[in-house]
Amino acid sequence: MADYQIRRCERQLEGGIYPETHKALSTTDSCVFVDDPKRLVFPIHFSGGGPGEALVAVGDTVFQGTPIIKCQSGITHVASRSGKVIEITDHAITHPSATKSASIIIEPNGLKDQDYLDPLVWPFDADTLRNRAIEAGILGLGGAGFPSFKKWSDGTQTLIINGAECEPYLTADDTLMRVDTHSMIRGACMLSQSLDIKTIIIGIEDNKPEALEAIESALKESRSDCFFDIVLLDTKYPSGSERHLVWLTLGIEVPTGSRAIESGVIVHNPGTLAALSRAIDGKPITDRIVTLTGEALTAPQNVIVPIGTPISHLIEAADTNPDSLASIAIGGPMMGYPVTDFTAGITKTTNCLLAREIEVPPESPCIRCGACATVCPVRLQPQQMVFALKGGSLDRAVHEGLIDCIECAACNAVCPSHIPLAEWFRLGRFEARDKANDQHLAAEARERFEARNLRLERIALEKEAKRAARQAKTADALEKARKARKESA
Amino acid sequence: MIKRPDYPPADTQIVMRSVLIALIPGIIAMTLFFGIGVLLNLATAIPAALAAEAVCLGLRRRSISPRLNDLSAVLTGALIALSLPQAAPWWLIILASTSSIVLGKHLYGGLGQNPVNPAMLGYALMLISAPITMTTLWVDPLVTPDLATAWLAYLGQSNDAVTGATMLDLYRTEFRVLTAAEASQNPLFTQAHLGLIYGYEWVALAYLVGGLWLIYQRVITWHTPVGLLVTLAVVCAFFNFDPDTATPVWIHLTAGAGIFAAFFILTDPVSGATSPKGRLWFAIGVGILTYLIRTYGLYPDAIAFAVLLMNFAVPMIDHYTRPRIMGRSSSIRGSGGQS
Repeated sequence: MADYQIRRCERQLEGGIYPETHKALSTTDSCVFVDDPKRLVFPIHFSGGGPGEALVAVGDTVFQGTPIIKCQSGITHVASRSGKVIEITDHAITHPSATKSASIIIEPNGLKDQDYLDPLVWPFDADTLRNRAIEAGILGLGGAGFPSFKKWSDGTQTLIINGAECEPYLTADDTLMRVDTHSMIRGACMLSQSLDIKTIIIGIEDNKPEALEAIESALKESRSDCFFDIVLLDTKYPSGSERHLVWLTLGIEVPTGSRAIESGVIVHNPGTLAALSRAIDGKPITDRIVTLTGEALTAPQNVIVPIGTPISHLIEAADTNPDSLASIAIGGPMMGYPVTDFTAGITKTTNCLLAREIEVPPESPCIRCGACATVCPVRLQPQQMVFALKGGSLDRAVHEGLIDCIECAACNAVCPSHIPLAEWFRLGRFEARDKANDQHLAAEARERFEARNLRLERIALEKEAKRAARQAKTADALEKARKARKESA
Repeated sequence: MIKRPDYPPADTQIVMRSVLIALIPGIIAMTLFFGIGVLLNLATAIPAALAAEAVCLGLRRRSISPRLNDLSAVLTGALIALSLPQAAPWWLIILASTSSIVLGKHLYGGLGQNPVNPAMLGYALMLISAPITMTTLWVDPLVTPDLATAWLAYLGQSNDAVTGATMLDLYRTEFRVLTAAEASQNPLFTQAHLGLIYGYEWVALAYLVGGLWLIYQRVITWHTPVGLLVTLAVVCAFFNFDPDTATPVWIHLTAGAGIFAAFFILTDPVSGATSPKGRLWFAIGVGILTYLIRTYGLYPDAIAFAVLLMNFAVPMIDHYTRPRIMGRSSSIRGSGGQS
């Protein structure tokens, strides 16, 4: 039995909101595979892990687990089912920008052909595990899609399993913690042992008693040496935000502009750890749990879905006609974004499809009431930032703290003027990053230019010096020759 | 008891409506002590404000109904009506109300854009343009006028028998030469009103009830009223060396617009400071200025001028009262270069 304790979080989330959770809608005791879809879509640049390149060509036969995309970060994505590459073309993707992007289209053949990796045998070192995570395509399954291996620094003290799942409607993590508890615990233990981490914290909101029970019984069976510190959080949004979870469980404020890992903390989604456990056994990520929910779906539920499955296939799996929906939110009501082209395939970061009709009241002018500031979990003043952004002054918005925004959209939920604040901030943050990148490039170019000027100057000076030396030498020689001539004369 | 909501109201209209509801106790108390003129003020100022709002929106080619429905113009009209003398003639009310909306609000771009408090701008404008009308037509709470007298006053034929100087004015003029003991012999003090010594206190109490309800409903926060009232009390108490010449603290707090302004005027979110700390500083500033103008200025009451002056200081207050952002070692100060 692993050593563990359960405690209530002693800290209170500052700001935040208590939204209606609607979690009962999709909560089910079991979680089954959906039928394989007719085609699978894998965006080459937007599967997570940065822009990538295709490792397969049209006509190639792939097995379940065959690498098909390699990203800049090294992350490899694999085919989630065996089949044939029928097309590599621009295709709709699940992305907030709603654009099309180069994608590999695979037609599954229904065979169970597998192309897995060799299982790792304990003991293995951290580098072996990092390589395995790269090969198996492990990235943050909570939604951000950050390559997991990049978080695994040596000298880390704590691993936090983020089981808060504070986003309303979502039950994917809850379901995973209930049906795949052992994998999650095993993944966490393996990671901790290879990085020499002693404490594993499980942050979980108190609205998931079944998951908590499952974790407890799994820990009783576990033989891990790690100490598990289970922290029960109030059901308050956004307690599952990485920085907030770190603060709630450890009292550490992650400084602006740095990641939790720089404060010695690794935060992982339960799904990521379960996937890591399977990767150690040789199985790359081919499937994930997706919550299908929303009042517009006939049969909301959680399903295990092959990566690349088109959205329309999942809507049908929830007994709903895709044509009856105008758009669907990817990722929940707070942080999700709408997708209207249902041919787009789900990626490793797609945790939820939310179908519901919402009436957005018309926007009215900001009256600076400051309701948004009272719920902002990072203590920003959204009213000031949106004023700057609407006035076209990105710099002022950044000065007000735009880069600290976690885009949780709690401000949207309380704005009496119904201003889509979070959308403004999402756009503004994107522009700010773009601008910073441009400035960075410009600075680099300037440095190169200045270095070149210096070099040219130095060369010119050297030339001048050489010339002067040569002249002096010649003059010397002439003088000597003259003297010699005079003497001889 | 209604459960205290977790957040401020979810719609601008509900915000405005809550403030209007919170004014009701004050309106009732004022009508009881100062007569039907209070209601005449309201019945004139609110339609005038709505009409001005509609005309301005039309001229600015904006959709009219959403803005009329948000009740912000109604609230401005109500606030200016309650600020004006109770025996004010109709034209003064209309002028004050329309200039609040036109000059105080739409000239700057309408709802959410006004740099100063619209009602106080209209009030101050009237005080400068029509000083006699604005200072002499206050109803004496001892002689609450009947309907006919109020109506005549409304038409412009005010009756000296029912009007007089306000309590704050008395302390600046008549009571100045009296000792505190002599001043307390004034009928305003000797004739008790329902147990309290003079009508103003009941009105202040009624506004206090409405204001506390607003805090309970999270429409406003405690920072503004506490900031103003505590500052006013502390400053008055500090300078109250000679009780025979100084206006007592209690009078400062209850006789003028103190309570009304603390909960209903300074709390205008648009023209006030935006962070809780900023609201506190804003209110402290208004408190100090109010005392200074009441004591050394030309006018008996001073809230309007104090509010307007502090409104102009709001951008600076906002720049120095930002909360510390999570993950930063200190709060961001200053305007951040170009603004």
